[in-house]
Amino acid sequence: MNTTDLIALSPLLIVGLSAVAILLLISLRRNHRAVATLALGGLALAMASIPQAAAVAPHHIAPLMMADGYALFYSALLLAASFVVGLLSFDYLEQRGEQREEYYVLLLLATLGGLVLVGANHFVSLFLGLEILSVAIYVMVAYARSSPLAAETGIKYLILAGTSSAFMVFGMALVYAQTGTLEFGPMAAQLMQMEDFGLALPGMAMMLVGVGFKLAVVPFHMWTPEVYQGAPVPVTAFVATVSKGAMFALLLRFFAAFEADEAQPIMNILGLLAIASMLAGNLLALLEDNVKRLLAYSSIAHLGYVLVAFLAESSFGDEAVTFYLVAYFISTLAAFGVISVLSDGKSEADRMEDFRGLYWRRPMLATLMTAALLSLAGIPLTTGFVAKFAVVAAGVKAALWVPVFALALGSAIGLYYYLRLVVVMLSPVNPTDDSNSEATATDDAMSTRAPNPAILRPKKVPIGPAFALSILAIFLLGLGVLPTPLMDFIKSSVSELR
Amino acid sequence: MNPIPMEQSLMVAAMLFSLGLIGLLVRRNVIFMLISIEIMLNAAGLAFVVAGSHWQAADGQVMFLFIITMAAAEVAIGLALVLRLQSDLPTLDVDAMDQLKGGDDA
Repeated sequence: MNTTDLIALSPLLIVGLSAVAILLLISLRRNHRAVATLALGGLALAMASIPQAAAVAPHHIAPLMMADGYALFYSALLLAASFVVGLLSFDYLEQRGEQREEYYVLLLLATLGGLVLVGANHFVSLFLGLEILSVAIYVMVAYARSSPLAAETGIKYLILAGTSSAFMVFGMALVYAQTGTLEFGPMAAQLMQMEDFGLALPGMAMMLVGVGFKLAVVPFHMWTPEVYQGAPVPVTAFVATVSKGAMFALLLRFFAAFEADEAQPIMNILGLLAIASMLAGNLLALLEDNVKRLLAYSSIAHLGYVLVAFLAESSFGDEAVTFYLVAYFISTLAAFGVISVLSDGKSEADRMEDFRGLYWRRPMLATLMTAALLSLAGIPLTTGFVAKFAVVAAGVKAALWVPVFALALGSAIGLYYYLRLVVVMLSPVNPTDDSNSEATATDDAMSTRAPNPAILRPKKVPIGPAFALSILAIFLLGLGVLPTPLMDFIKSSVSELR
Repeated sequence: MNPIPMEQSLMVAAMLFSLGLIGLLVRRNVIFMLISIEIMLNAAGLAFVVAGSHWQAADGQVMFLFIITMAAAEVAIGLALVLRLQSDLPTLDVDAMDQLKGGDDA
């Protein structure tokens, strides 16, 4: 390991060292503010080290990691998302008087896992990154110890994630048995020389179970609504963005090593998963009244959309995937950020009813929520529109007609439930009759429960979330109006992939 | 070109994996589900060791060490959660864990 390796790995090293520093600090003195500052500082420092790492990129840290423009772009994305989650978490945890400090250790470790994953070039680093990420998330999901849902959510996530890891590792073993190498590049080269994949085909199919679980695509999506609902809001935001984004980055790198028609059977499976996710995710979201669960189903559909661009298997497709993930990160973090700010020490603002009349009570937050939802729906002038446009263009260019059709159909269905929430935010607080509510089957269930009183009483948005949300708002609209600079930057970053 | 011993021992690993999966699906007790996951992970570890010996390389064994470590970390968290759960619910039956449901009873 020489100096260049260390520079190329500096984001990972800084995040890892910050986690250790926090552990030491906690053992000396428990201070939530100091620990949070240290964690956010570590993330910011890691982000600041990316330009230095980019100066030596592309650099292959043999044999495990690859520090190229692609990995560094995704590293920056993950670090930024973790930073936002950290800002949201501080005020969220501040309202809950529990052991708050260890949360930041887990946040940093999970981020570290994500960073390992996006740079992984080898089965060992893939496995390590995946497990560092997962094991930290098991605890984060169950972190709100006072919540009666916490332990149940945690154990459900743990059992399902453990099973999917077992599938993934067994699949890796089969691929290794066939190829004799654990490195992505030589592995693809080996497989391309063979007339058929042999054991590697069932192996890759089993690995897809692990990948599909992390991405929460149908039929591996069952955990998503439950975990989204049961986990604390900032953790939900983290699971929705960092964990999925890191996995997708890895998927893209793994298959970029293959020739387009070599991995065709696997691509066919992924195509089916994408179509199923787009349709099932959007249809199931129609039935939801819990906003966190609604966003869970919507995220299932969104990962289906990204898979369409992935299936294009071109550098144009890679750019579309990356841009879509950036847009998805921004919109999702903004939506969960609003939910997190609206939540108080006792309950979370995750019911549809909590959002009724939000425009009249918290106009800024309601406007941001609307922008985030419109972006998720893909309405022009938001970044979600540009991203969806790029994905459709990539799909059309690769003549993927069925997935593109499913994408269009899914988006049309999706529009309904995003706009439903917008309409709820516009409606008056206490509906006198049912005519101005949106007449769903669960209306009576909603009207029997009073809205959360703390949400009716406006409070000031704390400085941390306010900062995070304003940045997200700027990007949400800014990239929708002016996407070209980011597009060009992504183009230069991902060009090394193929 | 694969010598038969590797296929046979991979078959053993696959059987072990299937047993773990069946256990996971049939059992309703959280502890036994965790044990089943452990069996599946160890089956994967066995497959790695077999493949490693076939290729005359240490890679498989290295991977096995990582798998053991990860399984231990996972089970540590799993058992901690089980203890927490036991204080909320009098049973370890997963079917009793139904508080997370759609809509209004959250």
